[in-house]
Formats: sequence, C-alpha cells, structure tokens
Amino acid sequence: MGELNMESHSSRWIKFKASMAPRIRELRFSLRRIKDSPLSLIGITIIVVFAAIAVLAPVLASPNPRDTYLIPRDGFSPTPRPPNENHRFGTTEGQFDIYYGVIWGTRTAFRVSILVVGSALLIGLVIGSIAGYYGGIIDEIFMRITDIFLAFPYIILIMAFVTAMGASLDSVLKALIIVWWPSYARLIRAEVLSVREEDYVEAAKAVGGSDFRVIIRHVLPNSIYPVLVMASLDMGAIVLTAAAMSFLGLGAPMGYADWGQMISFSRNWIVGPPGQPFAYWYTVVIPGLFIFFFVLGWSLLGDAFRDILDPKLRRR
Amino acid sequence: MRKPAAQENVKNPDTLVYETIGEMESLDPAWAYDTSSGEVILNVYEPLLYFKGGSTDEFEPRIAENWTISDDGLTYTFRIRTGVRFQNGDLLTPEDVVYSIKRAMVQDRDGGPVWMFLEPLIGVGTYSTRDSDGNIVIPFEQIDNAVTVEGNLVVFHLKQPYGPFIQILAQTWASIVDKNWCIAQGDWPGTAETYENFNNPYPNPPLQEKMNGTGPFKLDRWEHEVQIVLTRNDNYWRTPAKLRSVVIKKVDEWTDRKLALLAGDADFVYVPRANVLEVENLEGIRMIKDLPELMADAVFFNFEINENSEWIGSGKFDGNGTPTNFFSDKDVRLGFAYSFDWDTYIREVLLGEGTQPASPVIDGLPYVDPNAKKYYLDLAQAENHFRQAFGGALWENGFKLTLLYNTGNEPRRISAEIFKQNIENLNPKFSIEIVGRDWPTYLDEMIAGNLTMYNLGWQVDFPDPHNFVSAFMSSGGSLSAFQHYNNPIVDNLINSGIVEPDPAKRQTIYYQLQQIYYDDVPSLMLDQVVGRHVERDWVNGWYYNPIIPGTPWGGDYYPVWKGY
Amino acid sequence: MLGISLEMRSYIIRRLLLLIPVLFGIIILTFSILQFFSPVQRASLFVTNPRQFRDINAIIQKYHLSDPVYVQFYYWIREVLHGNLGWSQSVSLPVKDAIIYFLPATLELFIFAVPLIIFIGIRLGRISAVHRDKPVDHFTRGLAIAGYSLPTFWLGLMLLMVFYGFFSGLFPPGRLGTAADAFVNSAAFTRYTRINSLDAILNLKPWILVDALRHLILPVITLTVVNIAFVMRIMRSSMLESLGKGYVVAARAKGLDEKTVINKHAGRTALIPVITVAGYLVSGLMAGAVITETVFTYKGLGWWSVSAAIQLDIPAVLGFTLFIGTVVVITNLVVDLLYAYVDPRIRLG
Repeated sequence: MGELNMESHSSRWIKFKASMAPRIRELRFSLRRIKDSPLSLIGITIIVVFAAIAVLAPVLASPNPRDTYLIPRDGFSPTPRPPNENHRFGTTEGQFDIYYGVIWGTRTAFRVSILVVGSALLIGLVIGSIAGYYGGIIDEIFMRITDIFLAFPYIILIMAFVTAMGASLDSVLKALIIVWWPSYARLIRAEVLSVREEDYVEAAKAVGGSDFRVIIRHVLPNSIYPVLVMASLDMGAIVLTAAAMSFLGLGAPMGYADWGQMISFSRNWIVGPPGQPFAYWYTVVIPGLFIFFFVLGWSLLGDAFRDILDPKLRRR
Repeated sequence: MRKPAAQENVKNPDTLVYETIGEMESLDPAWAYDTSSGEVILNVYEPLLYFKGGSTDEFEPRIAENWTISDDGLTYTFRIRTGVRFQNGDLLTPEDVVYSIKRAMVQDRDGGPVWMFLEPLIGVGTYSTRDSDGNIVIPFEQIDNAVTVEGNLVVFHLKQPYGPFIQILAQTWASIVDKNWCIAQGDWPGTAETYENFNNPYPNPPLQEKMNGTGPFKLDRWEHEVQIVLTRNDNYWRTPAKLRSVVIKKVDEWTDRKLALLAGDADFVYVPRANVLEVENLEGIRMIKDLPELMADAVFFNFEINENSEWIGSGKFDGNGTPTNFFSDKDVRLGFAYSFDWDTYIREVLLGEGTQPASPVIDGLPYVDPNAKKYYLDLAQAENHFRQAFGGALWENGFKLTLLYNTGNEPRRISAEIFKQNIENLNPKFSIEIVGRDWPTYLDEMIAGNLTMYNLGWQVDFPDPHNFVSAFMSSGGSLSAFQHYNNPIVDNLINSGIVEPDPAKRQTIYYQLQQIYYDDVPSLMLDQVVGRHVERDWVNGWYYNPIIPGTPWGGDYYPVWKGY
Repeated sequence: MLGISLEMRSYIIRRLLLLIPVLFGIIILTFSILQFFSPVQRASLFVTNPRQFRDINAIIQKYHLSDPVYVQFYYWIREVLHGNLGWSQSVSLPVKDAIIYFLPATLELFIFAVPLIIFIGIRLGRISAVHRDKPVDHFTRGLAIAGYSLPTFWLGLMLLMVFYGFFSGLFPPGRLGTAADAFVNSAAFTRYTRINSLDAILNLKPWILVDALRHLILPVITLTVVNIAFVMRIMRSSMLESLGKGYVVAARAKGLDEKTVINKHAGRTALIPVITVAGYLVSGLMAGAVITETVFTYKGLGWWSVSAAIQLDIPAVLGFTLFIGTVVVITNLVVDLLYAYVDPRIRLG
C-alpha cells in the first residue's frame, strides 16, 4: 500500500486508463449494438421526443396562471367538444382542454417515473447490497421483508395507502416507491451473491481492500447492467400503474394534467349519439396514445438493453 | 316520435328490466333505510295503507280496510283485512300486524328508520331504544303496550299527537311481516326475555336476504352486485300484477345502461343529470319531465368552528385567517347570502331543473308559506353587510378561509366556486380557497366541527314539514347539529309543532319557523330538485309520487305493463 | 423421480414454516395502513345517508371503530381463527361468502387467459430466438412489447368503443345475457362451479357456452395481450442462452436437423424460466384483473377489491388481502420447488 502511494499522479492516471480500457471497449461495443438494433433506435427516438415535449411544455402550451398542473376549463358543460380552433385536441367532460393536459401530462409522467424509479433503486441498492454481501441472518431478515412486500397484492397496498393519505398524485408516488423497491433489492442481492464468489473479488480482498471499496469497485459495476434493464422497463411500468390508479379514481384529482386522469373521464363517452358512434373518440384515444408511446419507448429501450448488455447473450 | 301503428317488437313483454346504480343494503323492512332496498320492499311487502296515486296526503287501504283516528290524536285504530295470504301461504292475522311493529322497535338498529315509530309511540325525542353507551333504556312494556290487538282491530296508542304518524305507517318500514315465518327464520320470538338478544343485531338481521310478503311480487333471487329478480305473486289478494317478473340490475356504467335502453334490453334506466340530453327525443324512448322531488340541498354556516381546524388559517382577523366565530355574526351570513347566484347554480348544476326554496319547508309539503321571502344575488347589499360585520373589522382586515367539497360532487364544488368568485371581487382582502377531499374525510371534518361551511342534502322521510325543519334547523337536527346553531325559540316551535293536533295552529307554527329561517339565515337553501323519468315507450302504468323509494327512475311496479 | 432428498424435504418444511410469518407480516402491514383512517372515516361506509348521521357515534361503538389498534386486531384475529372473516358492508355479504361469490368470475377469466398467454408467449419467444436479429425477431419482439405498453384500461376502453360502436350487442357487458341468465338459474340447469363456460359444458348446453364466451372475449383479450410480452421475453432469452450452449453446438455438429435441435435440446431446458413466469403471472394477473374487471364492470374478485377499497370496506380489504396473499405465497413456494426440482443445479438456500 505504501508503495502505491509514492507513485506519481501521471502514472496512476495511466494505470487507471489501462484498467478502464476493457470497460471502454465494452461500452463502444454496446453503443454499436444499440445503433444496429432498430427497436432500440425507435425506443430512443420516442423517448427523446417526449423529453423534448416535457422541456418545451411552457412553449407548447402556456402555463395556467392559477396552477400549472391544473388544466384550464372552458365552462362547465358536461359534453366533450371535438378538436376546434380553440382546443387543438378538443375538450373532455367538464371542458378540460385535452391538448394542455397531454402536453403537461408529459412532465407529470417523467416526474412520477423518475422519482419512483430513482427512489426505489436507491433503497433497493442499499438494502440489496448489504443483504447480499453480508449474508447470514441479515440477509434472511431482509429477504423475508421483501417476501412480504412482493407477496402483497400491490394494487391493494397502493389503494389503501392512497385512501389513507388522501387521493393525490403524491400519495400514489409514495405508495409506488414502497411497492417497487423490493424487486430492486432482490435483483441487487442476486447479482451481489453471484459476483461475491468470483475470483477477482477474492483477489481484491486478499490484497487487503476494505469491504466497502471492494463492493463499490468490483461488485456494483458488474451488477449494474440488469438494474439498468429493469429501470428502463420500470420507467414505463410505473407510468402505467400510476395511470391505472388515476383511472380508478385514486390518483390525480379531476382536472390535473395527468394522462390516466384524463382517460377516467372518457369512460362515459365511449359511445356517441346514435348514428355517430365514435363522436367522442378524442377523449379516449389521444391521452391513451401518449401513455402508449411513452411506455413503448422505454420498454423498447429496456428490452434492447437486455439483449445488448446481457453478457451471456452479447456475443453469439 | 314513434313508429306507426303496427305492433313493434316489444322485448321481453312480460318482464320489466330496470338498470340502475344502487344496490340494496338489506331486504328486512325494519332494517332498510336506503331507497334501493325500499323499492324492492315496496313491491314485495305491504303496509296497512298507502299513498293514493301521486298524492302525499291522501291514502288508500292496503292491509287495513279502514281506519279511524281519535279526536285527541292519541289512538289510531285499523280494521284488518281478512283473507290475505303471505307468499308462503300463511294467512294474515292482526297478530302479524302487531308483531311487525313490535319487531321493528325491538330490532331498532343503529342508523335505521325505527326512530319514526319510537317518537310517536314512546315519546317525542326518543330516537333509540338505547342510550349513548349502547345500553337498552326503553323497557319492553312500553313497546308491548304501544300497539295492541282487539279482535279484528289493531290499535296504536301514541304518547302524544303526532301529525305525520299516518304517513309513517304508509311506508316500507311499516311493512307487515308473517310472525310465524319470521320466527322460523330465527327472528325475534315475540317475548320480553328475548328483547335484548334481538336488539341492534350485528352485523345484520335474520331477514337480511329472505322475503315473505303479501305484495304483488315475490323474491326470486338476489345476486349481489348484479341484480335482483322478482316474480309475480299469483295469489295476490288484489288482481295479480300484469308483469310476470321485474329485474332490477346493478349496472354501474352509464354507457352500458344507455346501450341497453337503446337496444330495448332495459325498460327503465337511471340517467345521471349530465347525460339526460343524450336520451332526449330519441325514437322509442319516452322522457317524463318536471317531476318535483321532495329533496333539497343547503349550505350550512358553522357558527363555532373548531379552533384546530386547518381551514381557517391563522384563526384571527389578520388577513390570513378567519376567527372561529366568524359566522356567528349575522352580517357575515347575510353577506354570503347576497353573494350567491342561484340562477347560475341551478342552471349549471341542475340544467335548470330545480327551484330555489325559501326555507326547509319545500314545495309539496303542507304549510308552505307562499309569501316567504328569499335571498337573491345582490352584490351591493352583500358589500353593505360585510362592511358592517364585526363593527367594520372584517372589511378592514379581510379574511381567508377554505371551503371544502367532497371530490366528485360537482354541485358542491360549483357552489363553492360561486361564493369564491363573487365574494373575492368585493374586497381584495377577501380570500376563499377551495379544496376537495374524499367523502369519508369530508364527513370526518364535518363531524369534528372543522368545516367553515358545509353542503348537505335531505331526502324526505315523511311528507311533513317537521321532517325537514328538524333536520335543517333544530339544534340536534341530522343536518344542522354540526353547525352549532342553537336557537331555543326554533327548538320550542319544532317540538310544539309536531305534537299540535290543530292544523290551523300547526300552520302558524310552521309559518313562524319559515320567517325565522329568513331572519336568522342559519343556512342557505340551494335547490329543490326537479327530476325526470326515462323509459321505453312500450311501458305503461308507471306513475309518479315523490315519496316512493326509487322514483323518479323506478318505483311501484304493480300497475306497470308493456305493450302498445 | 419420486425420491425427495433429505435436503429437499427440509427445504420444503422450512419454506412452509416461513409462510406463516410472511402472511402475518402482510396482515400486520395492511392493518397498520388501515389505522390511518379515523373512526368516522371508517364509519362513513355504514352511514350512506344524512338521515343516519344521528347514529354515527353508536355505529362507531358497535363496530369497535374507535378501539385501540391492538384491540381491533384482537377481535379480528379471533374471528378469523373461528373461520369468520367479517362482514363486507359494500356488497352486503360476509367476507368469506363474498370471496366464494366473486371467485368463479375471476377464475373464468384466468382459465382462458393463462393458456393463451403461455402458449402464444412461448411460440413467439421461440420464433424470436431462432431468428435472432432478423426482421421476424424485431417484428415479434416489437409486437409483444407494444402489447405490454398498452395500458390495460385503455385497451379495454378501445375495445369497448369499437365493439359498442360498430357491433353493438356482439360482445355485451356482464357475464350472461338475459335469456341465458334466466336459464342458468332455473331448475333445468345445475351450477356446479359457477364458472359459466365450464358449467355449460357439464350441463351439455352449447348455447350457454356460446353466450358465456361472447361475454368473456373482450376481457380475456384485454388481460392476455398485456401479459404476453413477459412470457415471450423470458422464453426468448432463455432459448437464446440454451441455443448457445455446448450440447446444442454438439448436436448440430452431429448433423441433427435444426428442428430436432431446437425442439428437443434447446427448447426443453428453455422452459425452466417459464416456470418462474408462471409464479409472476399469478400476482401480475391479479393486478390486471382488477383493472380489466373494473373497465368491463365484470363482477369478480378484482372488481370487488377496488370497490371495497374505495368505500373503505375494511373487513373486505383485510379478507381479500389475506386470501390473495396466501395464494401468492403458496404459488411462489410451488414455483420455487418446481424450479429446484427441474434444475438440480439451482441452490436451494
């Protein structure tokens, strides 16, 4: 150890680059695979488009002065109105502007998915790596706890939580985080378990590295790939679940810029007046398409990652 | 507009299908207090007498052939019809009538309708056989002596005159049940010793799912959350019904109901207010409008807001809150009264199908004062009163409060919006926030006394002003209890009004109450609903009476038949 | 094959014993969440009408709603151990009866959805793996992912829109049409399982079967489409993994035709992860059923659970949670056992 400390900075930098070289090579290979896969390109494109919409939301639909996420209403009439000059995508029951709702709903979707995935990932990382690395009784306890959460009908947990705290998007967020972290914990733990016994970890420990350093430098980076896959898939899955909650009436309140909430209005209008069965199609189709493409983008990306990053499948 | 004379294909000509959103809570006549249960009980059981046609104060005989009321209003005597059989074949006797009433009083479940027997028969102010700790305090003798058999007569002995008693006896909770059959189902054996065992059953009574009445229909099956099927009672003591069966289906989605109506698979459907225009003027569909209902909504001022309420801001006149006694100042209440836009409210919420009542004594009840005054939108007067309130402190400092509504309830939200819009325009220091909470939370806040103002609606128990004034104005009223409005004059008038036998004197009392309502303005009557009924045009015989449970959508199926 | 090793036996026993604390944990968790509600909030289910406000305190007392948590828990557990799960006010049935009442409808959905999901998923997975990176692969993967990305409720609504609008009457709501419903409840028909399609077969009444299927098609499609992607994806990646394995390369070298290689050698081992999927499917399908049943107002367990949760029907929520929790935990155990049994290399602990 003492010897290493006396080396100059430049040679340490050279050593670092050398140790990273294989990683960079792998990265380049991955990027090329991504480029070659049409599905992942489509996925990336979709996500970029949505990100652009989210960023440009104030430009695309000027914010409601009263409350940005409250869709402006044009009166109180219960009958939806089709797209016209004032309302590009028409209005829902109660005259909420659909265009405004889907544009700002993009921000809501990103906010929800990033917050939930991020928090669940962090919690799962901490708990999973501790459980996997130390094993024994700590592992046992943690795994039983995740058992409980995973066995729990998650819909019921979310419904109960949301009703207890008052139906709102924030309650749904918190409930989702509680429900989602166990699968990350499980995943990290499994990866840590399989990597723990590998030679290079034994070697690192033999050289005298502290537990923490070993985990950070060796175990975690190799475990990251499946987590990345799960996270990108979850970005879509979270939005689906949150939308379902809003649809059931347990999420965002009426008039909030949230895709699922907007579809919950449309249940009454799936059949138009006699002779015009699809008169109110826009209340159902438009918000739904937004959800669909958002989730599609992330799912395509996640699926492509899985294909590309899985070491067992990388090179045939 | 109908198809020409040729007999159109009437779907299911001997079955009436009614699709609605309600579901029965119980089939036991003494337990059920909701209209969905009431509608079914109405068609399977019968009381002693019933409302005649569409009238709320004329009656025709059912199980009773005729009746007399003593001059002092304390004794009601009914001659019981002979030759009537229950659906299981048992012959009806006066003993069954007496048992029915006593059984109800013995059962007296929490949240049930039996208080309507207890008040007249045990004493005004008696709403339960138990005290607040759940212990029985009404001795069995009082129940036992309240109604007796004398030969072919059944006699009720009231503790004091009670004007609406005959109306109470005409409703589903006074249905006559078969004593022997009830006992065979495990219900109260009729003795004093078993009184306690059968009082306030948990979680539900023995007759929860079984029915054996004398009415024109009998229960075929109850598929929970799906439908209830009634079939014709061919041994009915009057001419049997024309319909062979009645199916009441629970269909939660409007779209499904609409399609069924259009296809002819449903004959009656419940149409939410927002969707009535979709089925107006359609071929094959008949819509009957202008049906005044005995239902009214009001917004109540909370005279003593709980100091821990989160809806009053700082709780002081500092521009960031509202003091807890805000609404105890009449000028504040008057300011709000003149700030409300009834026209917009009734137009937006009821599509114009409603009226503004002057007081809780709404149209259709006896003793409505035709000259009763109402409030109206007048922002100048509103400003006047706000300036005078609290000696000017209100106007100078402004106030900030929150109005709550229960989520999904558009009328309540709109009423809050109207107040906000009009009042905030009067003075920039006036600020009203509007917040939505789910119903259980709303209820919790209301009962805790946290709400600044709250909206509630009332549906008639019996068509007498007492039912409404006690709910809206009495210090312990079902609706008004939570507003801490205590006016001893009002309470006295209400208590004397109900026991007053002389109609002229009653009128004076209720006119006085209506005047006090205007003068004191403890709450604001928002609307009295006018309803519609929607049916296929091959349906005949449906009639409207606001007292029938389930109207204006369903109702009494006995006279109904299908065809042209 | 039948000789269960000692190791296996102790594993089974350990897992069975662990069932109990897990279930207990689930119940404690549910109970504690439900304690967030005040007594009045929980009483609101029983007070549906302002006319009953007067009795609210009495109702709170009657149903022990303001008793301390452990007291309420004690009452509830005591009843459960006597086989009484309480009363579901929202549907006016005892909770136990409600579960039995609503179960057949949900089971009927699963009976059709699960085989479809597994069969189609496996086929698509195989095709995708065998033709990896070719257009066929991209297409089937894209299709399956698109199916997964569809919000369940949106797919349901769209199907309703199309079929109500164009072909109204073809696939109606509910479980049976009026005539079929009357017949099924008459003396001429015996409802053995209350699963209508099954009963129709048992009673030899084809027209009832057709009627039941007509009502099932849309909800089953909705439930199936969304879940195919999972099975497909797992099948594909495990198939790819085994296709790259040593023994497959050897089989090819031996000159065996491609079909035999795929079916006999790679295919079989690839089925292992599908067992894992089956375990996931149970809880995943339950969530799907909740939403599907709500959209189609199809009165099964999923519909009841939502309705009960929204109305704060606490006994129903508790009873339902206990029931589903038990089912899921047992399924997980069975899956783990199958997994360990089929592939001895998997560590059992």
